[in-house]
Amino acid sequence: MAPIIRTHELRKVFKALERTPGVAGTLKTLFSRTYVERVAVEGVTMSLEAGELVGYIGPNGAGKSTTIKMLTGILVPSSGEIVVAGLVPYHERKRNARNIGVVFGQRSQLYWDLPLIESFELLRAIYHVPHDRYRQNLAAFSKLLDLDSFIKTPVRQLSLGQRMRGDFAAAMLHDPKIVYLDEPTIGLDLVAKEAIRTFIAEVNRERGATFILTTHDLADVERLCRRIVLIDHGRLVYDGEVETLKEQYGTHRTLVVEFSENCAEVAVEGAEVESREGATVRYKFDRRTISADQLIRRVADLYAINDVTLEEPELESIIRRIYLEGYAEPETSPAAAGSTAR
Amino acid sequence: MVAFAPGRFIEPYVEFARKAFSREATYRFEVLTSIGSLVLRVYLLRSVWTALYAQNAAPADIPLHSMLTYATVALLMSLILEVDGTRIIRDKVREGTIATDLMKPIDLPLYFFSEGFGQTAFHALTILPSLLLALLFVHIDVPGIGTLAVFGCSFVLGYFVNFFLNFLMNSVAFWTLETFAIQLMVRWASDFLGGQLLPLTFFPGALGWIVERLPFAAVYSTPLRIYIGELPQSAWAGAMAAQVLWLALFALLSFVVWRAASRRVVVQGG
Repeated sequence: MAPIIRTHELRKVFKALERTPGVAGTLKTLFSRTYVERVAVEGVTMSLEAGELVGYIGPNGAGKSTTIKMLTGILVPSSGEIVVAGLVPYHERKRNARNIGVVFGQRSQLYWDLPLIESFELLRAIYHVPHDRYRQNLAAFSKLLDLDSFIKTPVRQLSLGQRMRGDFAAAMLHDPKIVYLDEPTIGLDLVAKEAIRTFIAEVNRERGATFILTTHDLADVERLCRRIVLIDHGRLVYDGEVETLKEQYGTHRTLVVEFSENCAEVAVEGAEVESREGATVRYKFDRRTISADQLIRRVADLYAINDVTLEEPELESIIRRIYLEGYAEPETSPAAAGSTAR
Repeated sequence: MVAFAPGRFIEPYVEFARKAFSREATYRFEVLTSIGSLVLRVYLLRSVWTALYAQNAAPADIPLHSMLTYATVALLMSLILEVDGTRIIRDKVREGTIATDLMKPIDLPLYFFSEGFGQTAFHALTILPSLLLALLFVHIDVPGIGTLAVFGCSFVLGYFVNFFLNFLMNSVAFWTLETFAIQLMVRWASDFLGGQLLPLTFFPGALGWIVERLPFAAVYSTPLRIYIGELPQSAWAGAMAAQVLWLALFALLSFVVWRAASRRVVVQGG
C-alpha cells in the first residue's frame, strides 16, 4: 500500500528583514532593506504508513511547525514534494483539510464564548458530518474523554484539561485520516496527560487514524510512539524505532548496587564507579563488553549485596545528548544502522 | 462524485452566522447600554439641530423635520453599519490563529462575511426597541412603501460597499499587523464624508461636488437622501448605479488584495 504521507527533499526558506540595531539602524532599515534567508526545513524526506503514530521531535526552532504547516497545506514549500493521502496539500488546501484533524496545545479551535457543544455543531456543519455519524462519534468521545459534565459550559470557563479534551473531540469528529498534534499535553497535570494519551492510543488503534505527534514531553513519545523522526536545524537526523535509538545510545548502562555493609574497596573489573553514597554504589558499564548478568555475578562474588537495580537510559537523556552533540551512528553496531536515517 | 449542492455548501456559513449571532447575544449588558446610548444620541441630535435651525436660515431643500428624520435614520443605520465583522481578520492575523482557520475546509472571506452578518443580524434586532424609544423624543417622517423599498435596496448596496471597505481596511493587517491608524482615518472619513453626521448637501461648492462622488457617499448618503426625499425620483437609478459601481470596484479590489494576502501567508508563513 502506498504511504499515506510522503515527502521528498522538502525544503523551506524564509526571507527575513535584517534589522540593524540602534536609532540610526532603524532609520536605515526604513529606507534600505536587506533580507537574509533563513532555512527552516532542509531536505526532509520521510514516509508514513496509514495507522502509524510517529513522534516528530526536535528542539525549538528545528523546523517542526514549518513541516506541519506544509503538510497541512497552509505553507508552500520552497522546493521538494509532499503528498498527503493522495493530494498535494498546498494545491488543494480545502480538500486536504477534510482529511486532517489538528490539535494545538497552545491554541484552541473552540468558540471561546459559547458552550462546547456549539463548537461541535459548527464543526459538524463545516465538515458535513452525517448526523448519525456525528451522534455516534460524540457519544464515543464523550465516554472516552468524559465530556458530559462540561459540554454545556462556555469554553472560557473550562479548565485547561477540560478544554484540551474538548479540543481533541473537536479535532476527531469528522473522522480524519491524519491527525497532527502539536504539543497536545503542554501544561496539563499528570492525570489529564494520561487521559489524553489514552485517548490518542485508543483512536489510533480503534479507528486506524495516522498521527504525527510533535512534543517536548518525551514521556508522550515513550508512551505512544514506536517510531520517531528527529529533526534539528531543519535537517532530519534520525528516523526509526525508539527502541533502536535506545539500543544505539544506550551502550552505557548503570547498575546500582546496595551493599550489606560499607566496604572500603568496591572496584570491580569491567565497570567503573560512577558515584558512591554510603553503601550504595553506581557502576557504569558498557553492555557490549560485559552483560549485566556477568557484572552482577562479579560484584556478588567479591562483596555481600543487599539489592541491585539496573537503570535503562531514558529517551529524554538520549535526545538531550543528540541535541547537544548531534546524531552520530555508533561505529560498533552495524546491525542497528539499517533502520536509521533513510 | 461530489455534485454541487448549494445547501451543503452554504451550511457551514449559515452556522458561522448563527454562532456569531448567539455570541453577540451573550453580552446583554452591552446591548442595553448601546440602546441607551442611542436614545441619548437621538435626543441630543434633536436638540442640536433644532437650535441650529432656530439660529440660522434653513437650507431650502432640507426643512427641520427632514433633517431630524435624516439624523435619526442615519443613527439607526449606523447600528448595523458600524458592526465590523471583518475586524476578526486583524485579530486573527495578529494572534496567528488564521493558520488554524486555513486548516479547515472553508472559504475564509465567506467565513468573515457570515461572521459579520451574524453579528449584524443581532444588532439589527436591537434597532426595534431603539427606534421605538427614539420616536418618543423625535417625530420622524415615514415615506411611502415604494420609497421605503427603494431605500431598502439602496441600504443593502451600501451595506456591501461598507463590508468590502472594512474588509480592505482590515486586510492591511496582513502587511502591517496593526490597523488602528488607518481604521481611525477611514471611520472618520466615512462618517463625515459619507453623510452620517450631516447631509452632504451642506458641503459648499466644489467640496460638495467632490464628496458626492466619493465612495463613502454610497454607504450613508444615497439611501438617506432617498429616504427623506431630497433626491428626486429621476435621480434614483443613477445614484444606485453609482453604488453598484463602487460595490463592484471594492469587491474586485478585495479579491485582488485577498489573493495577495493569502499568497503572503502561504509563502512567508504569515
